Amino acid sequence: MALVIAIPYLVRLAIVSDPDELLRVNDAAVVARPLSGLGGLFNRSVAARLAVFRTPAGDIWPAFRDRHDPLRAAHQAMLEATLSDIEPLLQRIAPEIAQLGSYVGGGRAHRSAEDRSLGVVVQQAVGRLFFAEYAASEASYDAARTLQTWLSAWPLRACWIRRSGALKASLARIEAASCGNMACAHATAIAMENIVRSIELMRKLARQGDNLAKLEPQDALIRTLRAPPRLAREARDGDFVGLIRLRSRTLIVLALDNARRQRASDLGLPFFAGAWNQCPAHGLVPALLSKVWQAARTRAEGGV
Amino acid sequence: MSRENDGFVFHRGLLQGVLNVVYRAINFLVSWDHLPTLLGAVNLSVFRDRLRAYNLHHTGYGTTSSGWSTGNERWRSADGSFNSLDHPRMGMAGARFGRNFPLPECVPDSMGDLLEPSPRVISQELLARDSFIPATSLNLLAAAWIQFETHNWFSHGIPGPGNEFKIPLKPDDTWPEHERVNGCMQIRRTVPDGTPREPWLGATPTFRNLNSHWWDAGQIYGSNRARQMLIRSKSDGKIAVGEDGMLPPDPDHPGADLTGFNDNWWVGLGLLHNLFAREHNVICDGLKTRYPTWNDEELFQRARLINAALIAKIHTVEWTPGILGHPALDFSMHANWSGIPYRVVRAVLGKNSEAAYGIIGSPTDQHSAPYAMTEEFTAVYRLHPLIPDDMKVRRLDESKVEDCKLVDMQGRFSRAFMDAHGFVDLLYSFGTAHPGAIRLHNYPNFLRRFDKDGQPLLDVAAIDIMRDRERGVPRYNRFREMVGKTRVKTFEEITSIPGAAKKMRRIYKGDVDRVDLMVGLLAEDLPDGFGFSDTAFRIFILMASRRLKSDRFFTDDYRAEIYTDFGLDWIQDNGMKSVLLRHAPQLGPALEGVNNAFAPWNVLRG
Repeated sequence: MALVIAIPYLVRLAIVSDPDELLRVNDAAVVARPLSGLGGLFNRSVAARLAVFRTPAGDIWPAFRDRHDPLRAAHQAMLEATLSDIEPLLQRIAPEIAQLGSYVGGGRAHRSAEDRSLGVVVQQAVGRLFFAEYAASEASYDAARTLQTWLSAWPLRACWIRRSGALKASLARIEAASCGNMACAHATAIAMENIVRSIELMRKLARQGDNLAKLEPQDALIRTLRAPPRLAREARDGDFVGLIRLRSRTLIVLALDNARRQRASDLGLPFFAGAWNQCPAHGLVPALLSKVWQAARTRAEGGV
Repeated sequence: MSRENDGFVFHRGLLQGVLNVVYRAINFLVSWDHLPTLLGAVNLSVFRDRLRAYNLHHTGYGTTSSGWSTGNERWRSADGSFNSLDHPRMGMAGARFGRNFPLPECVPDSMGDLLEPSPRVISQELLARDSFIPATSLNLLAAAWIQFETHNWFSHGIPGPGNEFKIPLKPDDTWPEHERVNGCMQIRRTVPDGTPREPWLGATPTFRNLNSHWWDAGQIYGSNRARQMLIRSKSDGKIAVGEDGMLPPDPDHPGADLTGFNDNWWVGLGLLHNLFAREHNVICDGLKTRYPTWNDEELFQRARLINAALIAKIHTVEWTPGILGHPALDFSMHANWSGIPYRVVRAVLGKNSEAAYGIIGSPTDQHSAPYAMTEEFTAVYRLHPLIPDDMKVRRLDESKVEDCKLVDMQGRFSRAFMDAHGFVDLLYSFGTAHPGAIRLHNYPNFLRRFDKDGQPLLDVAAIDIMRDRERGVPRYNRFREMVGKTRVKTFEEITSIPGAAKKMRRIYKGDVDRVDLMVGLLAEDLPDGFGFSDTAFRIFILMASRRLKSDRFFTDDYRAEIYTDFGLDWIQDNGMKSVLLRHAPQLGPALEGVNNAFAPWNVLRG
């Protein structure tokens, strides 16, 4: 059951974590991706956080395009067609997969330095799925981290990120590295963090007993795949969605990772597979993570 | 294109900022229409500033400029381009309609929801006229006038066949069998915008305005050079008229007069087009006397400027206070045109203050977006209930009264009807007849089964409902919220019309958020003296001022070098009554003692 909080002028919020409810809400006609900021101060604050994800020319990042936006559907179909050609793409990023395999199966020295380089390698791998010549760096990964922090920071920190110019600079850096490809920008700034978290979990999993040798890639994938923790939507008008009564201008938080934990074997859920907003990488990311696990096993078996 | 409306930003002054806060507190306790006149008028200006800041949204131009022509700097181009010299495409014919709400709010429902509830059911159960409800404070010229004006401001074009909406019909529906397709009523879609879409438009549909967006009397002068040349006599700047002084027939549009824009033609439009074509020609005579060396083009274009400004003035200070009879509004509309009548306040606010000296002659300002008519503006101007089904045609010289049907004085019948009854007697008849009140259950029935030339049978009421839905205009409750009013929670909060709330609840299945905009506007309880709803009025507050403030010919270029001293005096000294009496002096007794030409005139006989 959803948690609904309504305090006049402050917040109008519904947190949905049940997998079935979450999918129903995601599909409801009254629920939209763009946030108006109406409903209370908190709603306004969240809307302001997401409103920055536009290019200087006003182009909207794909993950923030509305359901009925014809460009969203077109971009989604085009990108899905590109990312469905999985084997050649994984071949393209074979060096990065090998590095990630080393990380998963590697020792415990220089933990923080390794974690940092993990981010850069994942960003590079994700970026090269879009352009073979994509080059990640510590600076580009820092930019991605700034944008991720911006989305979840407390108000003072968010204010500092904006006022200091870090937000603008980070957006500019990510967009420049992505050569104006907004899907690439989204993947290398925000979506990549889910892969980073999955690989960190793989590393932990690999270190426990002889998991690395015993667990098949598919099993490891089920235990480590992570979804975005939260997605924001808004109910434009009031309506009942299943048993949830959504008042107009309710900010809806889809607790996707929470829902995934309740249905871990469903590898489609983190990607909204089959829904209107299905992630174009719904086939590619599991394949990539399986390859990483496989690479770690190979490395361990080879005694490297 | 930047993400901030092409770079246009609204700058709020200190006084405006203070008033904004003060009036938020006041309106928490009292609505604007219950305040004393002056406080109410200031309240309206505060609303206008908020709307200027948050309710103007650019959708791209969707067109290219036709290029510079000699004279564009000092008179209106035929297609409205170069009104803004920095942004020549702004407001020109073919440019897109803008929006009054953020673009993500202007997204149509998905197909299943788009047809719910059935527009045909709404037409039958909520809109159909049971018995005529008159608007007794107005005459029928007021109804013709607003159509005359909307034909100046916008046209979405005539919908063509293909991919029609299919509206399922109830078993007992009387819609003719031969008009049905698979048992459904068909409604043609709005002409689509085929121009390339900017990626930032998102899911918001765009449509193009075939007319110039400016308040330039384009309904008389046309919105392209070819049409303009067609209506001209090519002598002394005049519009071509026949020997009887009436506009000639349009060979391409049987029954209609040859004029700038003659879609949806009927006798009401014929009267006003003829009246202001005559006014144009009289202005040309005046200019010719004072400037004998001016050629045909110069005379035509200068007379157009003067005539267009006179029409705008009549709309601002006569028609509007006529239909919205509230003292604060009356004060505000006069202030919009000529400023406030307090010398001390004028001195304090300064020469460039539009509040002090009026918008006319003040600096041009687009506020937060490039100028364009908006889809929401077209939506709130769906005023078909003004049209009666029947009217009494009177004669000035005898007491005989003839009962006529509106359907017999429109389309291909228009000119014959005008010939049969005469220009002056029809003006008199319109002046002494009432339009319909803009309420539920008062939609003209002939328009709900309308056989329009060149179109399939139309239920215009159902079409009106579908137009708002397909163009992504928010439904009533969200529309209220977006113009700064609170949402309603129950149907009873919308209306006190007996039985209406119950009927609406049944049709909308208890969901007040689904009430269509037009239904809500027609159902809404009105402020004292108002002829249409307060919700529609919010858009009106914004756009009525914007049509003037954005237009350089009403602001920066409202000066003698452009209009001539003669022209400025003409606009200053004339109004609807003087125009009527100049061209139809026989109306003198009927207009005697009538302060507003859109109020009912004296019935002289019978």
